[in-house]
This record gives sequence, structure tokens and C-alpha cells, in this order.
Amino acid sequence: MGVQPSGKKDHSYIENLEKKGIIFTFNVFDSIDQTGTNTMAEGGEVEWELCKENIQPLKKGRDISALREALSHQQEGSSSHINQHKQAFESELRVYEGDDPLDVWDRYVKWTEQTYPQGGKESNLSVLLERAVVRFTEDKKYHNDKRYIDIWVKFAQNGPEPLDIYRYMRAQGIGLQQASFYIAWSEEYENQGNFRAADNVFQEGFKREAEPHERLLQFHKALQARVARQVMANMLEEEEEEEETTAAKPERASLVDLKPRGKKKAVAPINRVGAALSSNQHSLQFQGSQASASSGQNSRLVIFDEQKAASAETSEPKLETWKAPPPSKSKENEQRPEKWSSVKMPMKSRFGHTVLAPPSKPNFQPFVEELDQPPAMTPCKINPAVNSVLSARKPCRSETPLKRLQLHHHPLQTEGAQEQSMYCKELLLSGAAEFCFEELRAERYRQKMAVKLDSSAKEEQAGCGLSN
Amino acid sequence: MSLFGTSTGFGAGGFGTATTDTHNPMKDVEVTSPPDDSISCLAFSPPAMPGNFLIGGSWANDVRCWEVQDNGQTVPKAQQMHTGPVLDVCWSEDGSKVFTASCDKTAKMWDLNSNQAIQIAQHDAPIRTVHWIKAPNYNCIMTGSWDKTLKFWDTRSPSPMMSLQLPERCYCADVVYPMAVVASAERGLIVYQLENQPSEFRRIDSPLKHQHRCIAIFKDKQNKPAGFALGSIEGRVAIHYINPPNPAKDNFTFKCHRSNGTNTATPQDIYAVNAISFHPVHGTLATVGSDGRFSFWDKDARTKLKTSEQLDQPITACSFNNNGNIFAYASSYDWSKGHEYYNPQKKNYIFLRNATEELKPRNKK
Repeated sequence: MGVQPSGKKDHSYIENLEKKGIIFTFNVFDSIDQTGTNTMAEGGEVEWELCKENIQPLKKGRDISALREALSHQQEGSSSHINQHKQAFESELRVYEGDDPLDVWDRYVKWTEQTYPQGGKESNLSVLLERAVVRFTEDKKYHNDKRYIDIWVKFAQNGPEPLDIYRYMRAQGIGLQQASFYIAWSEEYENQGNFRAADNVFQEGFKREAEPHERLLQFHKALQARVARQVMANMLEEEEEEEETTAAKPERASLVDLKPRGKKKAVAPINRVGAALSSNQHSLQFQGSQASASSGQNSRLVIFDEQKAASAETSEPKLETWKAPPPSKSKENEQRPEKWSSVKMPMKSRFGHTVLAPPSKPNFQPFVEELDQPPAMTPCKINPAVNSVLSARKPCRSETPLKRLQLHHHPLQTEGAQEQSMYCKELLLSGAAEFCFEELRAERYRQKMAVKLDSSAKEEQAGCGLSN
Repeated sequence: MSLFGTSTGFGAGGFGTATTDTHNPMKDVEVTSPPDDSISCLAFSPPAMPGNFLIGGSWANDVRCWEVQDNGQTVPKAQQMHTGPVLDVCWSEDGSKVFTASCDKTAKMWDLNSNQAIQIAQHDAPIRTVHWIKAPNYNCIMTGSWDKTLKFWDTRSPSPMMSLQLPERCYCADVVYPMAVVASAERGLIVYQLENQPSEFRRIDSPLKHQHRCIAIFKDKQNKPAGFALGSIEGRVAIHYINPPNPAKDNFTFKCHRSNGTNTATPQDIYAVNAISFHPVHGTLATVGSDGRFSFWDKDARTKLKTSEQLDQPITACSFNNNGNIFAYASSYDWSKGHEYYNPQKKNYIFLRNATEELKPRNKK
């Protein structure tokens, strides 16, 4: 991949970057360290170094000059430049008369992300995302526009329950032809440990022929690889926990029958010897243990076995490197079998990457049922206590972004029938911040003047040309 | 003392125009040579000046001065220009200077004697409010801007004496020494004390649920600033005391500038309150709204004194003269419905009304 990780970063960070398909923020950082030819001032370097932990990463990476500028503004306390820029966006939103209004919102969102590296309430990003999303929900022409989908994804990730948002999108027909929709949705399932659902999301993406196809394929393959690794790690971990010396190798065949002990119902055959951990041996082992293992765990292994077999063909070299370290040999020689169910030690892979134990119950839900759920028109099971959306307005406790979305497009009938505001509410409130009448009018005036200046400048130029 | 006698003057409506013309249903005196575009602000000359002079700023980038004579005649006196629409005007306390704030991000000091205007303030965004502060130990200009700052200027120096950060863009402000109050976007509300030097006194949770639009400080019986009236974009005014004996009882809000008062069958139309002014003698207040009406109120008796007929345009500004005999109000488009409802051909008016009787408090305590 060409990335030279500096020693200070831990490898889970790299893993993350890999997953997200970006590496170049890292590269930029390296270029500051390594090349002496960069034009960045010493001061800029220091700021970035000092603040980097507080800076939220962006999937696209951060523009380093925008980042430095944003940080230096924050340090100096001079935000007037930023204010002006923000006001300009707010104005543009309201007076735009072209046929691609999404463009203004898209640029505003991106600018906000770059300008407020630490995120936080001041950026108003949550409000902005929500408004952008709501603004075009009914606008079919944007339903598969990549920019719009990207905003939706950011909005979902910004909120307490991304999965609810993705389901809502699907119900509204938003993003169905966009690869990035399925990628983001699948990633969320994966983050929650639901590999089955994550995979199914990709399957649906393929079915709907989401574009770009290669990207969808690439991310799906990456998912499968991660799943396979996870499976391997799980197996290794279980082997470490189990104290009974059951054999895989011929010399221990006599102890194949295992009795489930302790809390763990599932039992996997123990293979203590490093060499035996190649994929071929494993598949043999699993087939051998079917009789003794509990059905739940067993069925899980069988299913994943198919996937693993498929991926094993393509990524053989990778799997081979995942041999467990030999120390387990010494353990079994020294200790008697004991109950270890109360102790769980996360196994560290060769790269120091911590692998978490899977939950003991099957970690996939029957995804088919979820898909059959009716479109989320009625309030979903949203945890009302969790509302991490930072908003300038104070929402009531039970409000979540998804609920507000639903209310916006399916407003309650009873309220508002008695009163009617006699001013252009939509215009004043259509951006992320409010405007007053005078600001609206001033923006019109400014635009008019700009046009005038422009045309008179052109006249002058033309005049000058002629007089020569 | 009646200023204008009976209204047989300009505003009688007998110019041969259609009888349905509602541009001046109150038959008040029309100021001659009104500005060519919406009037954003009005201010009468201070007591130190003999006579009555009215200043009006407009969206045509100009500031005009009229002399209002005792017989009701208005005489255009002078005019100054900015390079952008004028948003606020005020007088110095001796009446020799007029200060003007504009969308061109500058504020100017207009010397009426020499008829010269010079720039005395600069912001990064349009300046929304300008007020003159006369303190025992200093004089200065206070400017509030959409760049989220409140700056104080000694008119002789190009840099501000002081610059205070606002939570949001300044939408309206008022000064009655030693108190100043600023209302900002996102319903921000800050009170400042001006003794010695300006400093933030208190941030107040807004008593209103909607956008702040106009504000005016009122005084107590000892002629000291005691609180303010705050108007919102949805037909409501809040009366708020700074240190009341009983805040829950003393502070209150009231609805105004709404249609269909008693008729509950149809939805009630709610209009923005564009400006508030307190009568300098009686302490009663006037509000003007997007609905094209003005109303007079007695805040102590908590009653409405009068509501006008409806004009055919919103009323955008108002002002009382220094002895409270004259009430001036401007009829022009306030942009409450955006640019689609703007008609550049429509005439703009400033009306003058006798204010001696109608603003007397309800119960003389």
C-alpha cells in the first residue's frame, strides 16, 4: 500500500484507514515529517501536531491549508473571516435561483467540515446536515445523486441511530443506486458486529445494480476478508480459553468427544499446535467436531466455513500468516484443566491488533425479516434518551433526528391550524442559521450591485479595446 | 398644544385619488419628498435643539433631514448618501451631529451645520444599529453589526475604543444611559452597563420564542432606565424589567399585530413587530407592524390604548419627537415576504400624527 506508518500510531488506526479506503491523510502527515521541501511554516506544523488528537478525521481527508487556517483562526480568536464566509453561504442558499440548489448545500457542508476541525456545537454541522437532508427528501432528481447520499451518510453517522436512518432512506427510495449508500450501511452493521447483515446489505446493492459496481465489489471483498480474519481469530481465542486438551492431531484423537463446560455452551476442538492452523486443517477440524459442539455455535461455524473456503482460495497467503504463537503448547503441559469461563483474554494478533471475542449467542439477526419491515412511517424503536445531535435549538427530550425527519414530511394535522405567520418563514429559516428580513434584502442588494459592477467593468474593458 | 389643528392639510385624501386608496387611512400628515425606497429608521432631534427635525434613513442609500414646523409643514433640509442601504440613524445629544449606519459596513458622522459627513466606524459586515452614548467621563458611538461584534468609537479615531463579542449577529439595540441592551440572532439578549466604560452586565434568556426584531428601553418614575420592550417576528412584545421586585409578576408578554382578534373560525394571521417607541413623557409605548397598523399601549395598566386602521403597506419605523407631541411612522415594504412582493414603483410615506392625547396612560396613578 505504500504507507509507512510512523511508530506512534497504533495499528488499529491503520486498520480503520484501510477499512475506510483512505490513506492519504496519513501520507500528508508523513510529508510534513519527512520532506524538508514543504512550504508550510513551522508554526503551522506545531499547531497541527498539538491539536491532532482533537481533530475529527474526514473520510476524504483534510485539506491541510484549510486545516491550518482554521486552527490559527481559533488560536487567535479572530473568527470574522469565518463568519463572513458562513454568512455568504447562508445568503447564497436563500437567493440561489439556478437549477442545482444541492450544490450550494454540498459546498456549505464541506466547507463547514474543513473549517471546524474539532467539530462541536459552534460548527452547527448537525443542524446543517439535517436541514440539507430534509430539504431534498421529496426531490426525486437528487435521490441517487452521490453528493446527496454523502450528506445523508454524514447525517446518519452524526446521529444516535444510523441504522434507522439507512432504513428510512431505503424506504424513501434514496440512494438505492448508489454504492456509497450500501457501503456505509454495511459498515454500520459491521461496527455492531453483525457480519451477516453487513453482507446482506452488499447483496442487495448488487441486486439493485448500484453504481459504481467495482467500488461495491471492492468493499464487499474487503468485508469478506475481515470476516474471515475475525473467524480465524475467534477460533484461536476459543482454543486459548478452553483448557481441555482435546486433539486435532492424530495423536490426540482419543479425546475428540468434548463435553460443554461452564458458561460457554459451544465447544470448539482445540488445536494447540501452530502448524495445524492452516486453513485446510481447520476445515477438517470443524467437520470433525460437529458431533460434540452445540448446534448454535456449530451452525455458525459451518456457515462461515463456506465463506472462508471461498476467500481462502483468493487470499491464501494472508491466512497463513495468522498462525497462532506457540506458547499455548506450554500452557497445556503445565496446568490441569480448570474452569476458565470467568476469564476472557482478548487475543492479540501478530500485529498487536486486539481481537474481541464474539458474543456467545449467534451474532447475526435474521436479516430477511428486517428487510420486510414496512417503511418507517411510524416512529421506530429509537432510544429516546440518546440524542447526541448538537443543535442550536433545544429539541424536546424524545426528539431524534429521524423523528424530526418523519415529522417534517408527515406533519401532525392538529397543530398550526389556528395561527398563520404572515412572513416568509421558509426563506428566513431555510439555511442552517436564521436570517432576518434585512439580511435577506441586503443579500439581494449585494447581488444586484455585483452584477452591475461586473457588467460595467466589462463595458469599460470593451470601451478601452475600441479606443485603441 | 395641538400641533396641526384639524387635518385639512395634506393627508385628507382629497387629491382625486380613488376612495379605496388606503395609503393613509388615518389621514395623518404626509412628509414631503419621502425617500424613494423603504424607510428603515426614523429619529427626531433632541431637546437641546429648538424646533423639530426629523431624520430618515432608507434602502435607497440616503439619509434625509426635514424640518417639521409648528403648522405641520415639512421642509426637506438636507441629504447624505452612503454606498449601501442605511439601516439606522441617531442624533448626538446636542443635536449638532447625526450618525448613520449602513450595509456598506461603515457608520458616518454627519455635521448638520457644515453638511459634511465623515466615516467614523468600520465593521466586517453591515452595521445594523448605531447609538450615541453620553457618559460623564466619555462620549462615544456604539455600533452593532452582523459581524457579531459591538464596537465603541471615539469619533476622532479610526480604531474602536472597545470591541465586544456578541453571541450572534446584532438585530436591534437601544441605549439609555447607563444602560444598553442588544438583541441578536438566535434569540440572544444582552444587557450592558455603561458607567465608567461599557461592559457586559447580564445575558438574559429570551422571553420570546421567535426571532428578535426590535427593542426599546423604558424608564421608571425616577427617569432611570428600568427595563425594555422586545418585539418579535411573530406578533408579540415582551416587557422585561431588569431588577423587578417580583419578576414572575412584573414581566409579561402581550400579543399584537394579529388579525381576527375574536374570530376563531379562521386561522389568525400573525405579523412581525417592526419597531417600538416609548413616549418620552407618558411612558406609554407605540408598536408598528408588518400588518400596516400602529398601536399604542399602556404597559403599566397592561391595556391597549388604540390601534390604527390598516395601511396598504407594512409600517417599518416610528419615532416620537422630544416632547411627545408628534408621532412619526413610515409606510413602506419591510421585505417580510421576500423579494417577490417588492414593488419598486410603490411610493413610500412618512406620516406625522398628533400624539398628545392618544398616548396618555389609562389610569393616572
